[in-house]
This record gives sequence, structure tokens and C-alpha cells, in this order.
Amino acid sequence: MVGGGGGLPSEAGRAGGAFAALAEELKVRFRQGVGRPLSDADFDALACRAFEIQFDASPAYRAFCRGRGVDPGAVVTWEEIPAVPAEAFKRLDLVAGAPRDAERVFVTSGTTSSSGIRGRHFVLDLDLYRASLLPNFRAHVLPDVERPPLLSLIPAPAEAPTSSLSFMIGTVAEELAGPAAWLVDGRGRLDVKGFRAAAAEYGGAAGALLVTGTAFSFVHLIDVLRAEGCGAALPAGSRIMETGGFKGRARSVPREALYGAIEELLGVPRHHVVNEYGMTELLSQLYEPVLTRRDRADARPGPDEEVEAVAGRGVHVAPPWLRVRALDPVTLDPLEEGREGLLCFFDLANAGSVCHVLTEDLGAVTSEGVRLRGRVPAAEPRGCSRAMDEIMSAAEGRGG
Amino acid sequence: MTEQVAGSGDAQAGNSGDAAAADGAALPTFDAWALPPDFAIPRIPPAFFDTGGVRVRYLEADPQWVRDLADTLRAAGARLAGRSTGAIADALGTVGERLLDPDDSLRREALRFLPSTSGMSEPMAAAVLDGMAADWTANRLRALLERELGEPGLLDRFIPDGPRRVKAFGPALAVQVLAGSVPGVGTTALLRSLLVKSPVLIKAGRGDIVLPALAVRALGKAAPDLAAACAVVYWPGGRSEPEDAALLAADFVAVYGSDETVRAVRARTPVSARFVAYHHRVSLAVVGREALSVDAVDRAVVDVAGAVAFFDQHGCVSPHVVYVEEGGGVDGRAFATRLAGALASLEETLPGGVAEPLEAARLQQLRGAAEMRAAAGPDVELHHGGADLWTVIFEADPSFETSCLNRTIRVKPVDDLSQVAELVRPFARHLQTIGVAGVGDRLGELADALGRAGAVRVAPLDSMPFPPPWWHHDGQGPLTVMLRFVDVESER
Repeated sequence: MVGGGGGLPSEAGRAGGAFAALAEELKVRFRQGVGRPLSDADFDALACRAFEIQFDASPAYRAFCRGRGVDPGAVVTWEEIPAVPAEAFKRLDLVAGAPRDAERVFVTSGTTSSSGIRGRHFVLDLDLYRASLLPNFRAHVLPDVERPPLLSLIPAPAEAPTSSLSFMIGTVAEELAGPAAWLVDGRGRLDVKGFRAAAAEYGGAAGALLVTGTAFSFVHLIDVLRAEGCGAALPAGSRIMETGGFKGRARSVPREALYGAIEELLGVPRHHVVNEYGMTELLSQLYEPVLTRRDRADARPGPDEEVEAVAGRGVHVAPPWLRVRALDPVTLDPLEEGREGLLCFFDLANAGSVCHVLTEDLGAVTSEGVRLRGRVPAAEPRGCSRAMDEIMSAAEGRGG
Repeated sequence: MTEQVAGSGDAQAGNSGDAAAADGAALPTFDAWALPPDFAIPRIPPAFFDTGGVRVRYLEADPQWVRDLADTLRAAGARLAGRSTGAIADALGTVGERLLDPDDSLRREALRFLPSTSGMSEPMAAAVLDGMAADWTANRLRALLERELGEPGLLDRFIPDGPRRVKAFGPALAVQVLAGSVPGVGTTALLRSLLVKSPVLIKAGRGDIVLPALAVRALGKAAPDLAAACAVVYWPGGRSEPEDAALLAADFVAVYGSDETVRAVRARTPVSARFVAYHHRVSLAVVGREALSVDAVDRAVVDVAGAVAFFDQHGCVSPHVVYVEEGGGVDGRAFATRLAGALASLEETLPGGVAEPLEAARLQQLRGAAEMRAAAGPDVELHHGGADLWTVIFEADPSFETSCLNRTIRVKPVDDLSQVAELVRPFARHLQTIGVAGVGDRLGELADALGRAGAVRVAPLDSMPFPPPWWHHDGQGPLTVMLRFVDVESER
């Protein structure tokens, strides 16, 4: 048992300097783009430096690692660095420095929480986040267009200051997009009239548009467009970045039905709908490479039979600075390629918090990328957590 | 675990055996249905799912088939009117007695399929069968009738009652939609219906298919008229067309399951049908000072461990938290350590079952976060069994929290047991069993406060897993809730 207590100021100061130096190096590396691989040796070296900083600066993480008998001197590969469960972001301040020095604190949406408590991600350096998200977004969503107008079904950063997703889209708007229309407000209200107007105004120039949203915001949009009896056709080349829909939710949407409706009502074909997988606890994202793989001579449809054969569909690709393993759900032993388990990520963009994060999401890691699994419709949860969510929300509701 | 339609194979009268699977491997198969004799099964091959090395086949029911089934059951139910209730209890009791008899083929059949279909270990499945079937014997069924009705003849004839005569009638057709998290619940539901002479359609839950189907098949030999009045079917949850047909035909509907399931079924049930919701419930244990002396504590520890382990904690009677009163000798922290030892020992005698990947995923989050909090300070301690799923978390914070189940329990200290009622009050609408030990003469006061807070059952710790047959199930008599009383008033 190791006592708690804050890190000594001198420790935090040293770690702060080391973090700043590492962050600058990482930004340079990230900005070179996702096409340049990181060798195992380079990744391990960066991972070990990040670990040392996090171990020194975060009392909670240090105590956890010591409890496992791991310290920076004993570690040479990223796999040996202890992974924290995503749940820990709800219970502890995981930050490689003083929490008060965070430039921003992102908060999880809490939709899948069984405890009712929201996770918090302290971000010491927003520029490091920007450096990670921009080249990855450009490579997978905008490989072939410059500064398309943006129609966002994700609230603007000013409306949702604690949302890491809003921050990401805000950054994309500033750095990669043309004029932007923000069509969902901070309370989740969708402005369909505004969507039609923006589609007409920006689409008039006949250039491709970029539309971003969660799967649920698209479902909502589709429902309204259908009810109004009239779609809103977007110009050729327009593309959609859609996120969510993979994690456990009360109402899951069959992707094929959603993509079919998008094609019908917005005129955007399936191979222009890019699914993003991300979470507040990770500052890097994964994408389905449908826009980048489709023109390749060796492109083959993924084996995901639930969606129409589109090259790149069914697998998500990580940038070189994010590595992922699937672990046995019970023993947490690493699984061989292709076997499904709990996804565990090591994200160098998380240098300012904790890089190694064990998630609740299931998937398999293959040479092509990560095959994610959502909830299995046939597996009715036995008694357990989903029902407990209801109980928790009932209890919260009464608590005010 | 995807649902499929079998490529070949015929749907004989519900049976079990070995069949060649579509992929060529021979899996033992269990047919998840039991129908009245001579009632035609659909002329399409059964669908199936594979679970734990067993292929479970089920009928793809269409709405017209369900309507015909309901009519057949209703007619068979009408023929039960002249049967004496006591004789029905005796006939039904033969099923329970056979399931308890180690030499009986019915018990062997049940034990062959129960572990794989429920996810429980073989010893756990056998213990659950013993505990459940004990309430299905003639003596226990008669005790249920007497405890609840006072005069069981009430179901057979008009009984004088002051200025009136009264007779009780069961529903003309009961439809019971089961959850499947605990094996045996479906069979209890089946027997309750037949006991009040009500024909019954059981929509079995995924993990509780074997016992009701076997019970009906066994009844076919012991009491064909009763067997003719019941049917067991399965279809995947949320398949609404056949379920709608069943609900429209029902006079009485009971639903077991998540709040979400209950809400959906309630919305589709006709207003004229009586509706009973056995929605999800949470239970907890409280251990008072009198049970916490160094000499006495092991009894409480073993009892709590058993209550957590039974059904791998999937029962609504399974505790999520154990509150340990301060000042009794052994404190909460030490109780947690001992409880961990007891759960580890139970892995030898009643091993834990298999966790679905999503359940394991949740458990790893909980364990990992507890490990971090334990490392950060003294308010949390974590014990767990590694690849064995049991997990004990001591937490100084006394707030009630739900567990992710599969033998995961939080131990929380309270200064005085009188604080527990306030701590659980936010969960009032979902509270069920409170297991108690060491409360001495404070039991009445404690039960009153817990009842006020929403609890429906206060029981000794070692009784938590198996309420008696006559318990007020979620606050209501399980037979009376089904009954319609008819008064005949005398001339004045």
C-alpha cells in the first residue's frame, strides 16, 4: 500500500519541463503525417519517455504502477507499461502535471456509464491534440479536397466547451475546412432548416461539402428529412464523417440502414461515409479507410457482411503514434492476431495524461486494422449492467 | 452466438439428443419448446443458437400459429375446471420430485443441458436445481396454496365468507414472458399458473429454456390434462409479432426482465389483461455487530459468500453491497478480506460460471479502477480471483452502488445499521431482498425502516437465494395476483 498525496513541486516542475520537450518532439513527428511509419524501436523509446514523465508527475498512476511492481527503470517496450482502465478517468485525476495547469478538461458524455460519474481528461497541451487529430482527419476524410465547407451536426466548441469531439471538429473547421455551419446546439437541438439552407448555399458552388455528426444526429436528421418528404442532395464528392454507433447504447442503429438512408436523402454514396472511432480518454482517433482504399488496385471488400461491400469498411486504422492490442477479456493476456478481445490502446498523444488505456470495447486486431464489435444483438445481457444503467438513472432522476 | 435458421433438420415433437450441425460437427441439441400433444409445429426448419457447446433449436413462430396455440391452450384450460386443486398440486409435485431424484432420467437430462445453456458451472447448476425444485414438490405447492389462500378449496367451489360466498378463478389464459437470467424462474411461473387452473404460455428466457420445457414434457406422462394446458416457446427478445399475438390473447400477463423489456411489453398488452411486472431488482446484505465477533463472524462471511455466488449473482435476490456495522469486533475491512477468502474457497465447491465478453469487459474496468484507488489511498481495498471472476471491493464510502455481477461485491462500513435505509432510499423502486444477520432485537425496527425505503423482503443471510414458495414476490402474493374473486351475495 502506497500513500497518496500530491507530487512535490520540484517533481512536477521537472516533469513539466520534460513533458514540454516531449510534446514539442511529438508535434513535429505527428505533423509529418500518418503515412510515415514509426519503427517499433522509435515507438518504444517515445513510450518509455512518456511513461517516465507520467510516473513522476501523477501520484495516482505512480502508486498504481508500484503496486504492480513496475517502474520506468524496468520498462523497455510499450506493452510492459501498465494500462489504466478508462473507468479510472472517472475516479482519479490522471494528469502528467498539476491538474490546475491543464489547458482544458474534457468530460465524457456518460452515456455508457454505470456509475453515473463522468470521466475527465486533463489536457496539458491542446496543440498536441491538434497535432494528432489534423493529419489523421485530413488523410482519412479529406485526402482529395481542400477546405470544403463544413456542415456540422456536432455542436460548436463554444457551445460544448468540455466536449473533446466538439474541440476536434472546431479545429478541423479552423484548419481544414471552408465556411462552417453549426447545426446542432449545445443542448442537442438540430436545426434542419439551417441544414437545408447551408446545403443550398454552400452546395451552390458545386464543390464537395464535409458533413460531420454522430450516428444519432444523422438518424435524427434523416427522420426529419423523410418526414418532410424531401431530401437535401449534397454535391458530388461530398463526404460524411460519422462517429459513434459502435459503443453500447440503448438503441443501436443498423449501419446499413443508416448509410442507405444517407445515400437516398443526402445523395452521399456509402464509400464517402467515413466512420470515426474515438473516445474522450484518447486524443488520437481511428478511421475506416473507405476513401483511401477504394481506388487501390488491391482493394477488396471487408468481410463485414452486414454492410454493403465497400473497400475499407469494417476495419479502423490507427495513426502510427497509436498502437492497439486485443486482450483476453478475463485474463487480460494479449491475444493473437484476429482474435476478439478487449481493446487496449497506447496513444502517444496522451503524453500529458496516461498513454496506455484499457477500454470496454471489443474488437480484433489484424494486419488491416482493428475490427470493432458493437453490441451483439442476439446476446441479451444477463441481468446485468444495462439494467443497472436504468436503475442508476432512475436513482439519479429522483436525486435531481 | 448469432441466430440462424438451421439448414436442415426437422422439428419433431420437442426433444433433445445429438444432431449433425450444419458445419458438420456434432453438437448436443436441445429443443426449446414443449407443446400440447397433437398441436402442429410450424412446417419450417427450426432456427437455432449455439451456446457453451449445445445447439438450442427454437421454432420460428408466426402470429397465426401463436393465435392457434392460444386457442388450444384456452380450451384445455377450460377442461381443468372440475379438477380439485389439491390433486393438481399432487400431480405437479411429481415433476419436482423427479428433478430432485438423483436416479431419475429427468434430473439427468436437466443437468446435462443446464450448465451450458445457463453459463453456470456444473456444481452451481446442480445446486440451483436443488434449491429451485425443492419448491416444486407436492408438499411445498400445497403449503403455497394454504399460506396464500387459507382455504385451497376456494379455487374449487364457493366458500361461505360472512355475508357472501366466494370462489377464486385463475385467468382463462396466462402469458408469462421470462427473462432467462436465473434458471428455474420459468418453471415456477409455469407451476403457479397451473396451480390456479390457468392454462399458460411460457415465453422462455434465453438462459432458462431447459427446465420449463422438461417440466412440461414430464407432465405429459404424469398428468396429460395439465400438460395439454401449457406450452413453452422461445424466440429472441424483442421479436414483436409472435409476442403481440400472445399478448392479445392473454387475460393475465407477467413479465420478468429489465425495465426496458417490461416497458415494451406493457405498452403492447391489452388494458383488459391483468399485468404484473417483475422488473429488475437489487438486493443487499447487512451484518450487525452481534454477528461480527471474532467467533461468530465466519458464519456471516460464509452466508454472504453463498448469497453472492448463487446464480453467479444474476438473481434479483443476489446482493450488490454488504453493509458491515462498526464496533462489532471484526470491521468492514477485515470482513472484506475474509469474504474474499470465502469466495475463493467456493471456487472449489461451487465454481463460478462463464462471463460474456461484455460482462468481463465491465468487470475489468471495475477491478482496474479499484486497483488504482486502492493504490492511491486507504479508502479502497481490492481482492479478486484473477481468472476466477469473484471480486471483493472494500470501500469506505457507504453510498449504495450496483454491482456488475458475476460474484462482484462491495463491502461498506456503516456506523450504525439504522443508516442503511437512508443509503438505499434512492433505489427504492428497485429494492428487493435485504439479507440480515446480527441485528438482534433491532430486527423489527430495521425491517420497518427498510420497508419504508422500498424493500420487499427481509431474510436471514443464508436464505437470500431461495425465497420460500409462499413469499410475497416483489410485494404481492404470487397466486392471488393472478386471481379473480367472484362474490355471491346472500339475500338480505
